[in-house]
Amino acid sequence: MAKTILIVDDSASMRQVVGIALKGAGYEVIEACDGKDALSKMTGVKIHLIVSDINMPVMDGITFVKEVKQLDQYKFTPIIMLTTEMEEDKKRAAKEAGAKAWVTKPFQPPILLAAIAKLVLP
Amino acid sequence: MPHIQNSSDSKLLYGSLPALPIILGGVIVGWQDGATLYSILVSLLLVFCGIGSGLFLWHRHVNELAQTNFRWTQDESSKIDAVSTYTSELERLLLTISPILSQHVMVSREHTEQEITSLSSRFSGMVNELQQIVDSTDNALGGQQCYHLDTVIDTSRDLLQPVLDLLRQIHQLEHKVVDDAFLLQAETNINQTLSLLSLALTHYRSDVDALRNNAEQIRGEINNVLVALQFQDRVSQILTQVENNLLNLQKTIEKIQQQGSKRDGNMLQVDEAVEHIEENYKSVSSRPDRGSDGSDDLTFF
Repeated sequence: MAKTILIVDDSASMRQVVGIALKGAGYEVIEACDGKDALSKMTGVKIHLIVSDINMPVMDGITFVKEVKQLDQYKFTPIIMLTTEMEEDKKRAAKEAGAKAWVTKPFQPPILLAAIAKLVLP
Repeated sequence: MPHIQNSSDSKLLYGSLPALPIILGGVIVGWQDGATLYSILVSLLLVFCGIGSGLFLWHRHVNELAQTNFRWTQDESSKIDAVSTYTSELERLLLTISPILSQHVMVSREHTEQEITSLSSRFSGMVNELQQIVDSTDNALGGQQCYHLDTVIDTSRDLLQPVLDLLRQIHQLEHKVVDDAFLLQAETNINQTLSLLSLALTHYRSDVDALRNNAEQIRGEINNVLVALQFQDRVSQILTQVENNLLNLQKTIEKIQQQGSKRDGNMLQVDEAVEHIEENYKSVSSRPDRGSDGSDDLTFF
């Protein structure tokens, strides 16, 4: 059975690019345009991993990660931050919020897939 | 088996013969002693009657023996004829088999075995019968015709045995030739098929390798396209930011123009405006803090 990955990014084209890379590797994909939209789409759905941008309207990525870790069902769901940001304080904030990895844009699909393969829930 | 009957006539005949000289001697002595001629003649007559009866009995016994021997000879002749018939039949079988063997080398195994079995059974039956004949006549004939029958039997055996051996050899050769030829042909076919399969597998392997290489190249091209799309997306975001900033700048300028005579040159802070615009986006072509090897692309916490 294919595993499901949630993609959270305000850019529709970026969601499509990440979706193409993940679907080509055999994953099922759920897309959300921001943190709030993602929380609404996660209800009652088995999510094996989350890929989230940081700079998003309505709810940014760091806040979204903190909210996800409050949910019992998704407390242990691994989260990968996919962003153009490179500042160390941003990385530290993501780590403290509960993220497991940091991938910079533009990303190489093999690198993102390797990170997912290492972290995805069984 | 015919045997001589021990009749009473024979006993009388054989018992009286040794007495004949004694009777003659008695007549001579009597005559020398002065017996009358009449009594001598009577005695002689009795003697000759006895001899005649003895001769008659002996003749009759001889006739009986001759008839018995004749009948036995006829029986033996018939049996010898039977042996001749067997021999003729063997010759016929040989004549029948020889053209078959010469014309049809590759006879069926079953036909050959049947012939061997038939000949063996016939020969063994004939030998048994001949042996019985030999046993039954050996003592009576003193061995002469036994020798002849033995010679016939031995001759028949000597003639037939090579034929049986030849049939067995042919059977073995036939079996061997067929199997070897079949195996050789089968081996040739198998080797040829294996060669073709190996050649086909080699072609398939090369095709699979080519497909794998092509798939890897295509995957690489797809990844390059995805990276390029990300750059394009980033450029689009930047252009969107530029558009928004230009719109904001235009609004700022229009607001200043609306001040009319109250406008001031310090109302537009150009350096601050530019710095604010730069903060909203970063150029994708300049990454001063990132290494060219992509080592900062992935970080695990």
